[in-house]
Amino acid sequence: MSTPGIVARGVKRSFGNVHAVRDVTLEAREGAVTGLVGPNGSGKTTLLLMLASLLQPDEGEVRIGGIDPIADPAGARGVLGWMPDALGAWQTLTARETIVTTGRLYDLDKERAAARAAELLSIVGLEDLADAPARVLSRGQKQRLGLARALVHDPQVLLLDEPASGLDPQARIDLRLLLRRLAAEGRTILISSHILSELEEVVDDAVFLIAGETVSAERVAAAASRGRMWRLRLADRDATAAALPVAQALGWDVNHIPIERRDLLLHFATDTDAAAGIAALVRAGLPVAEFSAATGLLEHTFLDLEGGAR
Amino acid sequence: MNLARLWTIARLELVQRMRTVSWFVLLGIFATLLAGVTLLSFFAFQRTEQSGAAIYSTVVYITLLLVILVSPTLSGNSINGDRDAATLAPVQVTLVTTGEILLGKFLAAWITGLAFAVVAVPFLVIASFGGGVQAATVLVSLAILVLETGIIAAIGIAMSGILPRPLFSVAATYLVVAALAIGSVIGFGLVGASITSEATNSYRTAVYDDTTGEPECKAGAENCWNDPEEMVCGEWQVDTWHVPRFDYVWWMLAANPFVILADATPTQFDRQGNAVDAFGALKFGVRSAQLPPELEQRWDECAPYEEQLFPNAREVIGKTVPSWFVGLGVQIALAAALLWWAWARTRTPARQLPPGTRIA
Repeated sequence: MSTPGIVARGVKRSFGNVHAVRDVTLEAREGAVTGLVGPNGSGKTTLLLMLASLLQPDEGEVRIGGIDPIADPAGARGVLGWMPDALGAWQTLTARETIVTTGRLYDLDKERAAARAAELLSIVGLEDLADAPARVLSRGQKQRLGLARALVHDPQVLLLDEPASGLDPQARIDLRLLLRRLAAEGRTILISSHILSELEEVVDDAVFLIAGETVSAERVAAAASRGRMWRLRLADRDATAAALPVAQALGWDVNHIPIERRDLLLHFATDTDAAAGIAALVRAGLPVAEFSAATGLLEHTFLDLEGGAR
Repeated sequence: MNLARLWTIARLELVQRMRTVSWFVLLGIFATLLAGVTLLSFFAFQRTEQSGAAIYSTVVYITLLLVILVSPTLSGNSINGDRDAATLAPVQVTLVTTGEILLGKFLAAWITGLAFAVVAVPFLVIASFGGGVQAATVLVSLAILVLETGIIAAIGIAMSGILPRPLFSVAATYLVVAALAIGSVIGFGLVGASITSEATNSYRTAVYDDTTGEPECKAGAENCWNDPEEMVCGEWQVDTWHVPRFDYVWWMLAANPFVILADATPTQFDRQGNAVDAFGALKFGVRSAQLPPELEQRWDECAPYEEQLFPNAREVIGKTVPSWFVGLGVQIALAAALLWWAWARTRTPARQLPPGTRIA
């Protein structure tokens, strides 16, 4: 359960004067989905290229399922599946041919590749378009084809670069379920995204990458525990009418409670304070219909870290 | 090297090519051109005995020319084009090796180029109806055509791996091919003309009578027209000038694809010792360059007339050395070296990336 499927230690990579990845140390557990969170240009794609055995780090070391992708790229490629952020598809090939061809490049024999293609087309929901050329696929459909391509050789480690971009809500839910299932089978999944709400739903762990550096666990913990906003809605009145009774129940100044659309935004320093707050509201007899964190934990942590970095 | 993966790469390239309409349009234009050339050749060589050999060689030459003109565009953007389309990295991350990618693409480009040779086959058959086409000529000329197609394909694939931009790699492929096909001729001409030797021409004429315009005869002879023995001879005069020494630079033509084709193909001669086809004609021209120029010439009107015989094609080819295997060797070495460079530039995990490119 706790064996790391992906390990990176002190990884650095620059392109000329651009230090894309300055110092990355991370571990991704087997059987878990790890999110790689960072703003645009923080080095996520460069890091994934190094993990995927395509790019050599200037310094530091990488292990994929225990294999060094620099010393033994073929060995690492056999156990890893990589889905790039760029949608590269062979325009004139059908979705099925694309998967079969990729399978053949992974040394599957013809029958096995064909069987695997049929299986994966159904998993990613492209059966109806299996024999249409890739050029007619939409962005989201190409994205799903890319995922199927990455899964063709049944890899133990999955590196997914922005897999959900361009997906419709249903496909996004399907992707989430698929990733959970793959993780439950014991695979290591590293998934990058800057759409945090999307990651929030699927990841077990998160690694924050800011300006080419991974953020230490202590800083993440500190950022995560810093106070945040909670969203409150009462069942029987609108936000303006609710502000005063809520302020009274909490013993706060009503002018310090911002209103956002139908909701009141309440700031609590810790989760314990928030729990005490809702207990007080309920004791005061207020009909609480909704009480939830205004930002996801990832988003909250990320925004806090980014603010600190600036 | 895994043959299944190699062929998967080659097949992938070929399938994509086969599914583009423009490719078939190109083959159609090519067939039309060849039909025109074949027809015109029949008119041009209609008075030639065994005209089939001449027409056959012309069609082979036109095929080689068109392959040289078209092939760089078919292969010269293979690798960097894939990188631009973001289809290279997903292949590199599989078990396929860089060598297999390069060789698979090379194989596909070669087969693509050979499609032109296949289109030319019916016209070659028609040409042979004219008669005089020898089996040895057909075998060797087609073998060289196949090899040259492969060499140009290899150069194109290599350039597409060395240079990051498709436009430049196609242009660079054209430049390399042009350096072989045209540059070698220009170099041969310019360098050969710059290296000169002093040549002398010694001559004397008979003395002519100013009034009658008749040659003056030695004492005792009345009329000495056409009788050098009896003529009064003038002083020897000597002219000197510089002659270009193409015999020092003939090897520069050795790596020219057209010369290789001519030089390798066994030549048939007619009764006068002249070559019957275009291969032989070019071979005669190129081999003649190996002969050093005559540096001391004499012309004596007072000596009995010796007929000066220029050697015919059969004699020149007989006494000079073939160079096609050297030229072919140079081309193969060049293509192999470029492919190796492309391999080093395309290898993953990549140490360095060409400026301005992304790996994916």
